[in-house]
Amino acid sequence: MTLSPARTRARVDIESILEGLGADVIHVPVIQPADAFLDTAGEQLRRRIFLTASEDGETLCLRPEFTIPVCLIHIARRAATPARYGYAGTVFRQRRMGANEFGQAGIEDLGDTDHARADARSLADALAFMAQAAPDAELAVMLGDQAVFEAVMEALGLPQAWRARLLHMFGDRTRLDAALSELAAPRVAANLPPQVEALLAVGDEAALAELVETELAVAGLAAAGGRSAAEIAARLVARKRLADVRLDAGARDALAGFLDLECPLSEAPARLSTFAARHGIDIARALADFSARIEALAALGVDAATIRYRAAFGRPLDYYSGLVFEVFAGGGELPVIGGGRYDRLLSMLGAANPVPGVGFSVWLDRLAGMEAQP
Amino acid sequence: MTLTLALPSKGRLKDEALALLTRAGYTVRLPDDARTYRAAVEGEPRLEIAFLSASEIARELGAGRIDLGVTGEDLVREDVPDSESRVALLVRLGFGHADVVVAVPQAWFDVDTMADLGEVAAGFRAHHGRGVRIAPQEWRLANPHFSQTHGVPLYRVVGGHRATEGAPAAGQADLVVDITSTGSTLRANRLKVLAGEDGVVLRSQACLFAARAERSSGDSALIADLAARLEKAAAT
Repeated sequence: MTLSPARTRARVDIESILEGLGADVIHVPVIQPADAFLDTAGEQLRRRIFLTASEDGETLCLRPEFTIPVCLIHIARRAATPARYGYAGTVFRQRRMGANEFGQAGIEDLGDTDHARADARSLADALAFMAQAAPDAELAVMLGDQAVFEAVMEALGLPQAWRARLLHMFGDRTRLDAALSELAAPRVAANLPPQVEALLAVGDEAALAELVETELAVAGLAAAGGRSAAEIAARLVARKRLADVRLDAGARDALAGFLDLECPLSEAPARLSTFAARHGIDIARALADFSARIEALAALGVDAATIRYRAAFGRPLDYYSGLVFEVFAGGGELPVIGGGRYDRLLSMLGAANPVPGVGFSVWLDRLAGMEAQP
Repeated sequence: MTLTLALPSKGRLKDEALALLTRAGYTVRLPDDARTYRAAVEGEPRLEIAFLSASEIARELGAGRIDLGVTGEDLVREDVPDSESRVALLVRLGFGHADVVVAVPQAWFDVDTMADLGEVAAGFRAHHGRGVRIAPQEWRLANPHFSQTHGVPLYRVVGGHRATEGAPAAGQADLVVDITSTGSTLRANRLKVLAGEDGVVLRSQACLFAARAERSSGDSALIADLAARLEKAAAT
């Protein structure tokens, strides 16, 4: 790809801003293995990325974003942590209308175990980037935290299976509300063969597993590497236990009340404490982490009163785990920056040990005046 | 201007489509040479018949290269991106029934609904280090059923598009989205369709479709007449 002189100049400027923020600016290839994106973001992405194949059949794509490739580079290099990578370049997404390529820049901070400090620095860096790249833009910041949602669900005593399912929908209020209604409604009676029903009735999990094993063998699935007999038997027993359990009205009210919370970040700890007290639940640990982040932000000169906290704000992607934030400029509807914590991502991508990560990406094309740079 | 009506070029779909046209009062004059893919309609010079494969008909409708076509709804929804905006479904013709279904191994006694599947998918990576894999006969159709309607975002689509029902035993997939008219192939492979509407992505049948386009009033009248006559014939 050839960059026009204007774009080359702009990119050099951006890279120097990133370096000024202490990031190690790295080169990320445009062509990427597609599996990493589809495994982590799901198949919905398939329609939105540009796929191609190598001669030996590997599925490749034009990079649709930078976070995953940066993490893959980090893993391949076996680089020491903490490490802070900066990047700038074009990303490619299929759109029904409009452009298919967009300029992006950002910083990924990998391996800092002080989550509050790393979270705060990522957000502070995002704002510092804006101050240099678009100094006149009027900014609005929205912040959410999935860890608080997890803590609320756990404190309300929701079964693990429900928590996992609801967590996958966090950030999508419509689907969450639908799932909550479903959990509150009577379940469809399970359609089980009599011998399974009989073993379930006496709670004989071992015999159940044997029965499932036989069925798996008959179907030729025993060696197929899918769900095991023990796993299926255990879930049968767990589901039986939950068959008559409904999401009760109190828990449902509490969840809805939590998801409705929205206030300046500076007021959020007090609001969340009041909320927890009213519903008689203990989310003290999550709240301590939440408050530590606000203090770390203050230490970096970011005023929490200028940030909006929305409890329901999250991204329904498997690898986001805590903080999410978006920065809006000049009253625009689309964020100019998206950021967040993704502690599960590096393990999903094959890192031998868990590596925490937090980062942000700037949509350069949405920055007014950026393209107009000489 | 002549309008092109594409019909399936072989098999039961072709026979049923021609029989329906006959019942609707159209006499299709088949060419003497069976290898010819064009035919005329007696007394209706503005209508030309083209014989194409059922999936070709879907694609050609989507591209707007033919005006009308008889093919399966599943093929149009699957092969044409954003099909609603490009192709109009005019009449359901009452033959060529096939359901697009979600099926899991019978051994998954703990899975009856999409909600069950959602829970299994959410916990799958922890157990197996990978997402649950689906072999879809029709992935464009299947995607919204999983991701939007039932909130099961985490799965991978794998494999080719043949012998989907064999994919679990081959270790290629954990479950399938398949096309079935009777379910016997699924049962033979010891797969079960999820309960009720959860298991059904689409109840498909042969339909008359029109490519969306600006048309003269004459053409529109001809299409409306064809649709009305086929609807009446299909109902009898």
